[in-house]
This record gives sequence, structure tokens and C-alpha cells, in this order.
Amino acid sequence: MSLQPKLLLIFLFTAGAIAITAWFIYSTSKLSSQEHGGMENPLRKRFTAFIILFALSAVFLSITIPKSPYFRFSGENPSHVVFIAAKQYNFIMSNQAIDPKKPGGGEDIVIPADELVEFRVTSLDVNHGFGIYDSRGEIVAQTQAMPGYVNRLRWRFITPGHYNIFCLEYCGNAHSFMRGSLTVTEAAAEK
Amino acid sequence: MINLSLKRVTSVWIIAILVVFVITAIFGITMRFNQGGDIELSPVTFFSLMTAHGVTMVGIWSVAGMMAVNYLMARYVKVSTAVNVFALVLTVIGLVMLWTSTFVGYFHAGWTFLYPLPFFVAWESWATPLFLYSIAIFGIGWTVWTVAMLMQIYKKYSLAQSFAWQHFKRGYLVETPPFILITTVSLIGILICLITAVILLVLLFAEYYSNGTFTNDALLIKNLTYFFGHTIINEALYLGVATLYELFPEVSGRPKFKTTWYVALAWNCTLVFVLTAFFHHLYMDFVQPVGLQLVGQFASYFASLPSAAVTVFSIVILVYKNPIKWSLTNTLFFIGVIGWIIGGFGAVIDATISNNFVLHNTLWVPAHFHTYNAMGNVLFSLAFFYWVANEFAGTKVVPRSEKLRIGLLLIGGFGFVLMFYIAGAYSIPRRYSVYPDELALGRNLASYGGWFATIYVIAILLFLGEIVNKCLKVFSPRSSAAA
Repeated sequence: MSLQPKLLLIFLFTAGAIAITAWFIYSTSKLSSQEHGGMENPLRKRFTAFIILFALSAVFLSITIPKSPYFRFSGENPSHVVFIAAKQYNFIMSNQAIDPKKPGGGEDIVIPADELVEFRVTSLDVNHGFGIYDSRGEIVAQTQAMPGYVNRLRWRFITPGHYNIFCLEYCGNAHSFMRGSLTVTEAAAEK
Repeated sequence: MINLSLKRVTSVWIIAILVVFVITAIFGITMRFNQGGDIELSPVTFFSLMTAHGVTMVGIWSVAGMMAVNYLMARYVKVSTAVNVFALVLTVIGLVMLWTSTFVGYFHAGWTFLYPLPFFVAWESWATPLFLYSIAIFGIGWTVWTVAMLMQIYKKYSLAQSFAWQHFKRGYLVETPPFILITTVSLIGILICLITAVILLVLLFAEYYSNGTFTNDALLIKNLTYFFGHTIINEALYLGVATLYELFPEVSGRPKFKTTWYVALAWNCTLVFVLTAFFHHLYMDFVQPVGLQLVGQFASYFASLPSAAVTVFSIVILVYKNPIKWSLTNTLFFIGVIGWIIGGFGAVIDATISNNFVLHNTLWVPAHFHTYNAMGNVLFSLAFFYWVANEFAGTKVVPRSEKLRIGLLLIGGFGFVLMFYIAGAYSIPRRYSVYPDELALGRNLASYGGWFATIYVIAILLFLGEIVNKCLKVFSPRSSAAA
């Protein structure tokens, strides 16, 4: 299972637990007729809850931060570099550096699986998003395309096939139609 | 002191906010039905609706919070009705300008008007400056109002007392009510956002009027945009929390909340964390310094701690096994707290950098912010509207449709946001007028979301009729005579 469905399940489970707990607390109030019933040692319990939440936050921070895209593959050298110039409303993609004054039409991008590729992504006009979708329609990686800056996105494709690129930053009235694609080939075939 | 003029301007605010809310919610429902293929709009119409929906919703729920704290603040300090009216007039003028720019001029750069999109004109050329001036008009009205409220607080409380710093020591003489503490923290946050908005607008106008001799830096402007946009909507939510602290115990027949050292600490920390959490909007801009990205994740996590551990637990302590006088007012506050926590948890998931890598700018984003707005902040404000309308009418009759209203709110509200969460987890992008065949699942989810949102709006309309009717009573000759 990829990350997104796991996150949805975690969210739904937690939201359900919050709703059930809230209903339980509400019910205790509805059923209570006794003044000064209430919770025993509430301040101590609140402090305990605070410590538990703080500890959970610290654990999640320490687990998730090393998985941030800035650190993944940072110690490796990419074997392929792909240049991306986004422009209302298409992605110019090339294996050669793109001249912003004469961007041209780009070329088909073919990348071998299991090799580290670096996408150097910029924009020639407004902000765009460079979102790579696999054949199931699921995002595998993304970065923003910002005018005046080059974002370097490193990724290693595992599964060969056709990948769509969709724009993931609102860029104008044809934003929904801005797309591109690339192909990932079998690793052995390339070697 | 709460006088008749304050009641009247508060009534006008409430009626205007509810009417504009319903209209703007219909903009959103129209967008969902277009995404679902139930109706067909041109992309220009869709994105004009999207721009108007976004700016208007952020605006009206910010002023709803300010209007509510302005009313309740009159219990502690003197408040200026003239400034309140000034803010109301400028908000109305700003709204007319905004909707003119989007529906007559077809301006559609989104509510974030992310630079440099407003200058890539695909609409009437006058619509760009009109839109920017509408933001400036809102900004002037709200800045004057914010400063006026803070000045009134500082006439009674010192700076240290407004932040409840004396509660860190023993034997303090002046107690800062939680309402004053949270209002101060939120208003200072809002003031900082509005100052940032001024800098942002000055930079944008400088480029607009420079005839090409001055160009802005896209990364700087993006930071300023999200500092302003992210923070103001969060602070608006905290204004709703301030009304909850003031009214929830009162309408429940329980003792008032008190400020303790950890309540003071929690809200002081919240101010710092909320002002630095906006960096999470730039996680996918890899050129942003990594240190700031990490600050974004830390602040996003720890901004939720004071609210979760202190506010929510305070409500739990008050309700658990205690005989509460339940009414629509405290029921709305209670559901609002649930919506706030659930939406906050959705936000924390997205504010985790490694998750954001696959969730950024998918429908997970509107999922979480609609949860803590539509099912959190809106319900906090609705609770205030309902309570104050009953105060104005001098009646506390329980409406027969009480359960129906709550049922429709819950089914419509949570059903509506659930469609967003599922779509986000399936990588459906946000801000698409239509979905490509590869992402066809988004169409069905959008259509279902539109129907759930319709149920939510029906619930709001049931409240609107009663609240408007009761608010109008402050304009009757009997009210004038009583005053």
C-alpha cells in the first residue's frame, strides 16, 4: 500500500475515535444529574495529556523529518538530469539545458528504472506545479515551478511505464489542461 | 458597556455575514457540481467563482470573529461603535469592489493572487488594480478596527497583563480573563498579518505602476502571501475560540474559565507558533532554505499543542459527568471543537513534509481547512450569532427544528469534507475546473460533495431565518424606548 491510502486510514480512524470520545463525554453530561460529579484530578490529567501529545509530536517529528524530500538521495549523484521549463499551459521537457529566451518545444523524456534522476524545474511565466503521476493516477513526486528559481527534484523510479505530469499550482484558466508525460523503461533494458 | 448602537451594528454584521455566507457557499457548491459534470461552466466563470469564494470566505469569517469579540469585549472595556461602523462600511465597499473585479472584470487569479499571476492579465485590464484595491480597502478597515480594539484593551490592562504574564508568578493582583488574553494574542497576530499585507500590496502596486522597471522576487512574495493568508485565517479561528471561552461556561450554567499559568503559557506560545507555521505552504519550493522548512513542520506540530491540550481539555473537564444546560449555543460550540480537532489533525498530516510531498495542492488541502472552518470556526460564530440574537429578542424559546438543524449540519458538513479527504488521498488536484479522464474519480466525489454541501447550506438557512428575525428586533421602536 502506498503512503496516501495509509494516511487516509490513519485520518479516518483518528477522526472516528475523536467523534466517539466526544459523543461519550456528551452522553456523560446528559445522564449526569449530580452536581460536582465531574472529572477527578482534572489538572493532573490535563498535564498528562499535554505530555503525551508533546511526546507523540516529538516521535513523529523524529521519524518523518529524515524522510523529507530535501534529504532523500542527497548524498548520491544523479545519473540523469532532466530540464523542465513550465509555461502557460505546457511543460517543456528536455535532456539539455533550456534557454529561457528560446525555449523550443522540448523532447520525449525516457528514463531507466532504478536510476537516480534529477529534475531541474523552473517556470518561464507564473508559478506552476510539477506533479508526477503513476499509471494508477497516484502522485509519486512533485515540486513547484517558480519563475526566477530552479527547484531540483531527485527521484528514483522503480516501476517502468507511462507517467503523467499534471500542474499542481493554479496558473490560470487552462490550469486543468496543463500536462506532460515521461516514460520509465525497464532497468535491465537500459543497461 | 453594551449599548443599543453596539447591538444594532452587531445585528447588521450578523445579517450581512450570514447572507453573504450562503451566497458564497453557493459559489462553492456550483464549483463542485461543475467538477462533477452535473453542470457546465466556462473555465473563466469557474475560476472567477473560485476567486470570489476564497477571498469572501476568508474575509467574512475574519470579520465575524472580530465582530463577536468586539461585542463581548464591551463587558470588560469601552469599545468604539464608530470604528465598528467604519470597518463595516469599508468591508461592504471592499466586497462590492471584489465582486465587481471577479464577476464584471472576470479577474480570476485565486484568493491567494499568487505573484506574478495577477499581472498575466487574462481578464479586463482594470480588474487587476480593482481587485488589489479591494484588498487594500479591507485592510484599512480591519487595521483601524484591530488597533482601536487593542488600544481599548491597553487602556485597562498593561502590555504584560494583556498577555497574562503576571500569572507566571504568585500573588498577582490583576487577573486577566481568558477572553482578554486570547483576544489580545489573536488581534496582535491579525495586526502583524495586516501589516504584512500592506508590504505585499505596496510591492505589487510598485511593480504594476513601474511600467516594467521594477520586478518582484517570486519567492519573497510567496512567503509574504502565505504569511498573510495562512495566519489571518488561523487567527480568525482563535477569535472564535475566545468567544467560546467567554460563552461556553456561561450558557452551560458552569463557573467561568480562569486564566492559570499554563493557559497563559499556552496562548503566548500559540502566538509564536501560528506566526511561523505558514512555511508549510512552501515545502515544495525546494529553493527555500531547509531550516525554514523545518521551522514550518515544528511550528505546525506545536501550534496545535496548546489548543489541543488546554482548550479542548478545558471543555472536556467542563462537560464530563457534569449536568450541563444544553442549548443550541453550547451544542454548536461543542461540535465546533470536534470539527476544529479533526480538521487540525488533517492539517498536521499535511504539514508533515514527507506527507506533503504527495498531498501538496491535492484536495486534502481544502479538506482540512474546510473542516476547521465550516465545521469549526463557522460553528463558533454561529453559536455566538444564535446566543446574541436570543439576547436581542429577549427570548430563549427552543426551536422545534433543533435536532433537524444539528443533524443536517453534521451530515452535510462532515459528508462534504469527507469527499475532499478521499479525493486528496487519491491524488485529485485542487483548483481544477474539470478533471482529466485519468482522474475521473474526482468527478463522482465532487458531485457527492456538492450534494452534502447543499444539505449543510439548508441547515444554515434554518438558522438564518430565526437569527435574522431576532436580530431585527433591535431596530424596533420598543428597543429604542428601552435604551
